[in-house]
Amino acid sequence: MKSEHNTPYVRFHEERCTGCAECLKVCPTRTIRIRNRTSIRFVDLCIGCGACIRACAAGAISATTRPPHRIGEGHVAIALVSPVLYAQFPKAMPKDVLLGLRHMGFRHTIDMSIFLEMFQFAAAEFIGRNRQTHEAPWPFISPVCPAVVRLIAFQFPSLLAHVLPVLRPVALMAREVKERLIPAYATQGQQVVLYYVNPCPTMEQERFDPAGAPLRHPEVSIGINDLYPDLKQHIDTILTEVPPFSETHFEYETCATANAALVAMSGGEIASMRVEKSMAVHGLRDTIAYLQKIEMGLFQDVEYFEFRTCREGCLGGVLSAVDKYMARSNVQRMLHLHGLGQRIPSNTILRLYDKGRFKPDKSPLTLTRLFGDRKPALSLEQMERIERILETVAGWGCGACGAPDCRTFAEDVVRGQADLEDCQWVHPPQASHECHTGLTRRPITGKGRT
Amino acid sequence: MRGVDLYDHPPYARNLADGGSNQTVCRYMASLKKFFFIKARDFVHAGEASIHIQNLLKSMHLDPALIRRIAICSYEGEMNAVIHGGDGILNVNIESNRLTLEIIDEGPGIQDIQLAMQPGYSTAPEEAREMGFGAGMGLPNMKKNADDILIESEPGKRTRACMTFFLGLTKEVQ
Repeated sequence: MKSEHNTPYVRFHEERCTGCAECLKVCPTRTIRIRNRTSIRFVDLCIGCGACIRACAAGAISATTRPPHRIGEGHVAIALVSPVLYAQFPKAMPKDVLLGLRHMGFRHTIDMSIFLEMFQFAAAEFIGRNRQTHEAPWPFISPVCPAVVRLIAFQFPSLLAHVLPVLRPVALMAREVKERLIPAYATQGQQVVLYYVNPCPTMEQERFDPAGAPLRHPEVSIGINDLYPDLKQHIDTILTEVPPFSETHFEYETCATANAALVAMSGGEIASMRVEKSMAVHGLRDTIAYLQKIEMGLFQDVEYFEFRTCREGCLGGVLSAVDKYMARSNVQRMLHLHGLGQRIPSNTILRLYDKGRFKPDKSPLTLTRLFGDRKPALSLEQMERIERILETVAGWGCGACGAPDCRTFAEDVVRGQADLEDCQWVHPPQASHECHTGLTRRPITGKGRT
Repeated sequence: MRGVDLYDHPPYARNLADGGSNQTVCRYMASLKKFFFIKARDFVHAGEASIHIQNLLKSMHLDPALIRRIAICSYEGEMNAVIHGGDGILNVNIESNRLTLEIIDEGPGIQDIQLAMQPGYSTAPEEAREMGFGAGMGLPNMKKNADDILIESEPGKRTRACMTFFLGLTKEVQ
């Protein structure tokens, strides 16, 4: 197994690390280990949930997104906009936000929420059709949050069948752009670059073609927090000047209703879906708890689960600029002012559905291959050894050994990646001696305290 | 399969003595035994033993469908002890070719096992039903998912449910 400082989703900056070990405990896949006091390694699969970025007070862990430089210089820049962006600006309507992006140099601004609307309709249609046949595994799980899908592939492989087999909104959007926008520029010989404007560090992986072929159109992900200061200025000028909105030949480039921002909120996806019983769960810890319950056969009466690994849904994405509660208040205000409205006629979506336009591009098997468990299986003897080690170590989960908890430490020892002596309760270091996380051990008896 | 006498079993006795602290491990040749203490009417912590077992099996890379069947059975058994039984233990034994789950509780016992095996038949109290449990599917689900099941009960005294899973062999889940 390779030990690395970076994953496809996050980067570690050793010079900034203070060794506080906050990141150690939050990682849902227990992939972080601390070595040599202020250096972390990613030893297992990173699902790109962003929990460590949020936990790191020193800013030593950052997303692999790219800062927005030279947008539209020498290429056609197409922005694929997450609805979270609209919630960052309390005074601007979604269309003004998109207009602001065009001022920044983007030639096209694609509104993702319209594809979410299509997805919601298609998902409800799929569930409705399966309700009659009684063949489907209940409950279905929303495929919208990519971190959740990766978490399922990694830790809950038996639930992969529950992930709704409808193409994700981002994939719908990317396909539509590649089929309809890019060819027009390709014939003119112009280079097209796709920019994903995102609240989460989850896009990096999808830039690589699984087959290893070079992508003809580079795809870049930009964090909303990186884009925010510039965009704010552009929007402020727009709101004072109000230039005419230029004509466009692509109908997904504008956005006029508050539906757009609603879907960024937790529960927003199921709010406008025609499903009989659905639940929205947000936050990493609760998501894992509910996935465990579903795996144990609970909630078979629920039709659809909306999972988001971030608190308050995508609004709480680690790369969003405005705090989740303020963003939520902005969304609620927008809903109050502009109300809800369906933008695409149901017949159109139904026709596309029957043509099979919502069939997913990746099978669960691909997901297992990409995000499945990579560690070799433990044998029964090794499992026994882990239990024996757990009896030896204190079991307090102090993290001084550099592993997130005692069981993971014991597993590392059995796999030969850690030494039992790393546990400071097994081998107490001298008072002056420092352990891996830099914590100096104090005498427990209290004699040395003043 | 040898039955375990509830009161003579040292780990259980030790668990009771120190107020039911979590788990104790015995070792035998190439087998992993774990005991979990189940507290009656503790709906908050119910299911934790099942999650623990699930995580153990996942690190052994068993077939996901098999893990799911085992998880469903251990959870249903655990919930039975929580809802109906007095306190009890969940006893899991993993061997190279099979896994046995044993749930023993000091509850009121089952009057008519045949009747209890029928889907929808439930004697769960109102408080459990209000929380969404006790739909009368516990024993039928266990029977459906286990490769072999044995339920013994002395009405008024205790119930012992013993389930066996053959590792490496698959059984279709409906």
